Amino acid sequence: MAEKYAVRNLRLCTKDCLCLYVCPTGASDTENSIIDKEKCIGCGACAEACPSGAISMVPKKMPPQQPKEKKVEDALRVLIRSKNRQETIAAALPGVLARAIVRSARLTAEDLCREGGYMLPQSDQAREFLLSVRNLPGIPEEAVSSLLEEFFGGRTE
Amino acid sequence: MKQYVCSVCGYVYDEAKGVPEKGIAPGTRWEELPQSWVCPWCGAGKGSFREKKEETETAAETPAGETVSPISEEMRELSPMEMSVICSNLAQGCEKQYLPEAAEKYRLLAEFFRKNGEREEEPSLEEVARLVKKDLEIGYPYGHSAASAAADRGALRSLVWSEKVTRMLDSLLDRYETEGPGMFKGTGVFVCTVCGFIYVGDIAPELCPVCKVPGWKFERVEGGTR
Repeated sequence: MAEKYAVRNLRLCTKDCLCLYVCPTGASDTENSIIDKEKCIGCGACAEACPSGAISMVPKKMPPQQPKEKKVEDALRVLIRSKNRQETIAAALPGVLARAIVRSARLTAEDLCREGGYMLPQSDQAREFLLSVRNLPGIPEEAVSSLLEEFFGGRTE
Repeated sequence: MKQYVCSVCGYVYDEAKGVPEKGIAPGTRWEELPQSWVCPWCGAGKGSFREKKEETETAAETPAGETVSPISEEMRELSPMEMSVICSNLAQGCEKQYLPEAAEKYRLLAEFFRKNGEREEEPSLEEVARLVKKDLEIGYPYGHSAASAAADRGALRSLVWSEKVTRMLDSLLDRYETEGPGMFKGTGVFVCTVCGFIYVGDIAPELCPVCKVPGWKFERVEGGTR
């Protein structure tokens, strides 16, 4: 397994097709323009050849997340909780402003949550979270177990 | 002549210069600007502006004596909505790494937790406004002091962005209280899909005044129910 895989930024891609010419496995030639991760061997030839700088190489294994202090996490959680309530209230109200609040409160809560310890799907925090919820009644179990499988090889210890 | 700074986007209103291209003559005093005047960059109301002082005052911003942890007993466990946000955020993380199947699974989980969240008995925009003001008065100052003490620049970054987004919302809710739904007649409402900034205008701004992403990252919001 290669250590990296190629990803294409569709906004930058100008369809110069040089990635198709240099790819030894045909991974970059897909109908939806998303490079086939299964076929990509991580050689980086496409990223070097692309004249638009639209392809970058992403590592399969991410470094550990930046450590967070409990006090910071707590302070962020207070705000996340408030944004949660703003979203819930607005969701029950009609009108364009309420719709905007639902979206905005969710986005700000997500950003605070990202800085509060949940940046990477590959992180220990994400794994512990998945393990803690996998037996909740009614949870889509298949989703939890396949995420554990995909990012952590199914490790459950 | 004085200057006033927009706390959302940093725009400076200079009384000496006015905004001639928008019909505000040079020399127009702050008090003379109509109450309905909004920031030409981000659309925040007059209430979001602060007078610009010569020396920078940062020390006074930290709340004194705020040492108690803000986490109450009831908050020890993650709430369903917090879990929903963790999942929708991780879905975004997967998307950015071009892992669409994993993103879809996290989105499914986010929806599951959202549906398990508490319902509001008496929802109202006044209650949202109250929460927003509390965030600005307590939540953000506390967050800034905790993140500064820990020298956590990532946390500070998210606090700065979301505080600006919250100030904008505060300003919109204030306007809504006096103008009502009429304030959205014949104009669009856009949300920045990166930081959550809400913009009222005909077209999305060229750059997000808060997080500076290009205008195509904005999404137009339509009315109606969820």
